[in-house]
Amino acid sequence: MKRLLIQAAALLLSAAAASALAAPGTVLRDEKLYSQPSATASVAGSAAKGASVNILAKQGGWLRVSAGKSTGWVRLLSVRAGTGGLGGAGLGDVVGAATTKSDPSRVVAVAGLRGLNDEDLKQAKFNADELARLDAWVVTAAQARSFASQSGLAAVNVPALPGPKSKSKSKPAQESSSWESN
Amino acid sequence: MKSKLIAATILLAALSNAASGLDLGKLLEERVNQELNKSKKTQPTDQTSATTQNTAAPPPAAKQNIDVKQLGFALFGDYSPEEETRIGKQISGNLLGAVPLVRDDKLQRYVNQVGNWVALQSGRKDVTWHFGVLDTEDINAFAAPGGYVFVTKGLYRRLNNEAELAGVLGHEIAHVTLKHHLKVLKQSSLIGTLGQVASSKAKSSDPVVQNLIGNGAEIMARGLDKNAEFEADRVGMVFAARSGYTPWGLPEVLQDLAGVPAKDERISLLTKTHPQPADRLAALGEAVDGRLDAVQGKELADRFYRIR
Repeated sequence: MKRLLIQAAALLLSAAAASALAAPGTVLRDEKLYSQPSATASVAGSAAKGASVNILAKQGGWLRVSAGKSTGWVRLLSVRAGTGGLGGAGLGDVVGAATTKSDPSRVVAVAGLRGLNDEDLKQAKFNADELARLDAWVVTAAQARSFASQSGLAAVNVPALPGPKSKSKSKPAQESSSWESN
Repeated sequence: MKSKLIAATILLAALSNAASGLDLGKLLEERVNQELNKSKKTQPTDQTSATTQNTAAPPPAAKQNIDVKQLGFALFGDYSPEEETRIGKQISGNLLGAVPLVRDDKLQRYVNQVGNWVALQSGRKDVTWHFGVLDTEDINAFAAPGGYVFVTKGLYRRLNNEAELAGVLGHEIAHVTLKHHLKVLKQSSLIGTLGQVASSKAKSSDPVVQNLIGNGAEIMARGLDKNAEFEADRVGMVFAARSGYTPWGLPEVLQDLAGVPAKDERISLLTKTHPQPADRLAALGEAVDGRLDAVQGKELADRFYRIR
């Protein structure tokens, strides 16, 4: 019921104020679009790797997107926000090249509006006073547990994720717990 | 791992069977001495760097007694938890020399509460975890050995709920539990054990460790192998989920970072030291697929401490 309401609200909003709500995204791998935010729901369409989509809504690990004529739910991790196509690696290269060249304007940069750079870190001098401040905020395991239970957080058994080697498809049950267990 | 186990087994056998014809004890001693000589050679002898070496240089004469830690490093190449903490302290003290901590006790305490709760799910119990928010608009987070984890104010401000904070901290905690930085240091250095610390409560800069990590906190600017980052994403996401948070906190943050223009200087260090957010999302997507579909979790937007 709630889900329906959320979807209805999302639809209404996206229809009424599409520009405000819709954000552009790029599909990172071939994916199905489901009619509901669940892999057991019926398939409403598909989106190919590299396709541009509009992100309309979000729920848990799912995004509601429109891709061409079809609209549906796709896994959050299968879409990147923003335009610029796959990877964005090209942009990264440009940035890398710009930051590795010695730009005199960067030398005066300190920890302020412009962020940190290599030189800030390289020139850094040990600050014992700041380091000592950290000790005042140390939290014990018991305090952490109490903090967690205040908001109803409890430890959950979640198996480790498989590393990239098990790419070879479809034996997730075994590999998901073995790679990182020690 | 297996070879370490075998080595440990051999060591045990040698210790428990003194009558063994093969003198493993002697072999071990030789191996250890080799390691010790190696580290002696790497001690700088020229005057200029000797000035920074005087306080904590290990006493060379005491090397006759092989202590367990040195034996451990020679055999397995592992730093002891104490050594790991010394390294982490030095890196963190340097980092804090470049950027101070935000002067907000409530914020810092809150981040330590969330961080320690997530760290409890990591299984690592031999470190004291220290978390801090750095007073810079730079968008980044850092981890140092021995349980030191930092988030910049610039990144913290972009977070929307406690689950996203847990995801970011989970990624950094994973770097610590997986000993990613220690592995880099071991590859880049011939120095074995660090020797005795001048005083166990030493608050000042540690010259021996500084020698190991290079200039200032430059190790933080060099970054890790991209596979270490992908691994920390996978492991960190699971730590957050095991803590009862929605697993989607870290992916949400990566989505947000993917939308920051690459020319924004506040993200240039992160961009330089990490794979592209889109590549991280795609790699996580491969690993996660449908595996976390059944995992429920909390976002805790209400409890999330917002910076004024």
